[in-house]
Amino acid sequence: MKKRRVRRSMMAATTTIIGVASILLAGCTADSGGDDGGVAKISFAASTFGDPGRGPLLNQWLEEFNKSQSKVQVSAAAVPYPTFGQTVLTQMGSGQGPDLIRFDMPEFEAASDAGLIAPLDDLVDVSKYTLLKQPDQFVVHDGVRHGVIFEASNYAMFYNADLIPKPPTTYEQFVETAKSLTKGDVFGLAFRQTEAEEAGVWQDIFNYVYGFGGKWSDGKTLTINSPDNLKGLQAYKDLYDAKVIPKGADAATFRRMFAEGKVGMELNNGGYVTATRGQNAKLNFNVAPIPFPVRTQGAILAPVVINEASEEKEAAATFIRWTLEPANQVKLQEILGASSVATVTQRSAESLKKTPFLPVFDGLTESSLPQIVLGFEAKTPDIRKVVVQNVVAALQGQVDLKTALDRAQQQATELVG
Amino acid sequence: MTVLEQTKVPRSAGRRRRSPLGSRWTPYLFLAPAALFIVVFQAIPLAQEIFLSFTRTTLLNPTRSRWVGLDNFVRIFGDEDFHRTLVTTIVYVVVCVVGAVGSGLVVALLLNKGFRGRGVARALITVPWAAPGIAVALIATWMLNAQYGIVNRFLNAVGLGVPGGSILDSPKYALPAVLATTIWQLFPFTSVVLLSALQSVPHDLTEAATMDGAGRWATFRVVTWQVIKPVVGLLALLMTIWSLRRFELIWLMTKGGPVGRTETLVIDLYSNAFESKELGSAAAIGMVGVVISLIVIMGSRFVARAVTKENLR
Repeated sequence: MKKRRVRRSMMAATTTIIGVASILLAGCTADSGGDDGGVAKISFAASTFGDPGRGPLLNQWLEEFNKSQSKVQVSAAAVPYPTFGQTVLTQMGSGQGPDLIRFDMPEFEAASDAGLIAPLDDLVDVSKYTLLKQPDQFVVHDGVRHGVIFEASNYAMFYNADLIPKPPTTYEQFVETAKSLTKGDVFGLAFRQTEAEEAGVWQDIFNYVYGFGGKWSDGKTLTINSPDNLKGLQAYKDLYDAKVIPKGADAATFRRMFAEGKVGMELNNGGYVTATRGQNAKLNFNVAPIPFPVRTQGAILAPVVINEASEEKEAAATFIRWTLEPANQVKLQEILGASSVATVTQRSAESLKKTPFLPVFDGLTESSLPQIVLGFEAKTPDIRKVVVQNVVAALQGQVDLKTALDRAQQQATELVG
Repeated sequence: MTVLEQTKVPRSAGRRRRSPLGSRWTPYLFLAPAALFIVVFQAIPLAQEIFLSFTRTTLLNPTRSRWVGLDNFVRIFGDEDFHRTLVTTIVYVVVCVVGAVGSGLVVALLLNKGFRGRGVARALITVPWAAPGIAVALIATWMLNAQYGIVNRFLNAVGLGVPGGSILDSPKYALPAVLATTIWQLFPFTSVVLLSALQSVPHDLTEAATMDGAGRWATFRVVTWQVIKPVVGLLALLMTIWSLRRFELIWLMTKGGPVGRTETLVIDLYSNAFESKELGSAAAIGMVGVVISLIVIMGSRFVARAVTKENLR
């Protein structure tokens, strides 16, 4: 009798535990899409889906894909830019995440190095397409293709044509223009300068370093504290100290200020042409090459990749193949504005009429570099953190710039081994 | 009749004992869900964290761990930045506790007095506490914004503008700004709790003290403080633990910057785990946090016992 009671109690307790555990585990299991009635449902994560101006157009473009397919449906996952890499890499590291991802280069390199990206060679035959060689070379590692360029966007100087009728063509003119425009609540220039925008600061200082003949590495050794780098970053700091920028303003704020005519110049990539128009369609702005001594500038290279953990690799590859079709490339380029896409495409007469400075961006492709540390690609996010922390410390007057770069060199060298 | 009654009683008692709710396993049955919760969400993650802290594990390949012994601890304790993080954490916690409890006590004493509109004031005072932490952080960030922030504009107007323009980007002023925002969010809670404690102070005791010639301060020290002291102790413990764990407000306001000036243990842990993707180092930092929390809890228990013994004497 007693044994029966004990057994019954134990059964009740076990059932409760199993029930609670089932509920908990069910809550912990992610829904990763998959096949639904013969239709493969895949997700595509990109920060640009949330961009003002471009986001809605990109979503429409995805809908065109969905309409053209009977077996594959793709849905957009808009992850904000500041936390994009962190969010998606965390998901991918745990064997989850979206099927398709539009990465920026530092995160692309980290994911590629960790084996989180599916090789595309057997999934997409790129020989059928005329790819742009300069950006494309960076998405192939040791002969293995890890992605296809979704967007390549060169950095140039955006300027308010009402405030600056003739753009500066030398660094000295650039500084003078910035100083002369700064008055009241109008600033001559804007760039990112806070640690909170680490990735953005890295993009901005890249132009100063390479524009003054510097580089982050020679391919084998880090050269963070080289004299040329110091020269470029000193130029960046001099502009910060000259009070010609809205200090403390983040990119979203100063880009709105630019759209409102309160910032004269900013160095930005072609992707922001559409976004700027989205904020103020009447803004009279133009674009010119960055007037630094050396014509080398950064480029946002954003490859689209397939998650190694995806169960729908073939469906994801179907989307990439569709993306590479000439008509869809043209449409994508129209949406992305002044950016380039994976293949060689012609700008339409209508685009050139609407945006006469498109050839300026196109002309910079050969001299543009992705914002990664060559030879240390996968370690770029870590090196970026060290460099930005030390440069910001110098901006804040905690340490002089040379000491900051020496410290960054030492810390980054320890980091990469 | 008597025989029947005698036989009936054990039968009904026997039925009750047969019910699962009456068995000796019943307490375990009721405890099982809570025990399972603790095991799944606290014991297992803690054990995993302890294991991770002795390994080299990256977020990109979390299943591939390499045992490194005490290397992570040696590395973090040998890092000057981590020393600064520990100091910042201690400063942040101490100022938060003193600021939140102190300002809460002052406000509670004021609200305990009779004045017109006291009910409205008591309701309004809870607003910062009721607001979500994210909203508080965003409001504070906008108020302190270098270009549009009302605080910056005011400081500039009176000639006290921060050199460089931005309070949250200033290594000197960022931590005070974060602390002020934290205390602003916390003090309503402490004031409401202390107000209820003040209302439990017996009037006859305060009146007796007054009649004996005690001044306001002496009455507060000898009567009021003695009654509310346990509540203050509990609040201090809660504030300490919450401040050690606080993440969203600091992260949203400064992300631990500028140049690490607002980086507390939790921010450093997050940064190591999700930015540097070093789960091993992050776990080691987490273990340091666990040890600090245990020291605080044990210290508070020790103090509480000492106070109780003193009161009994």
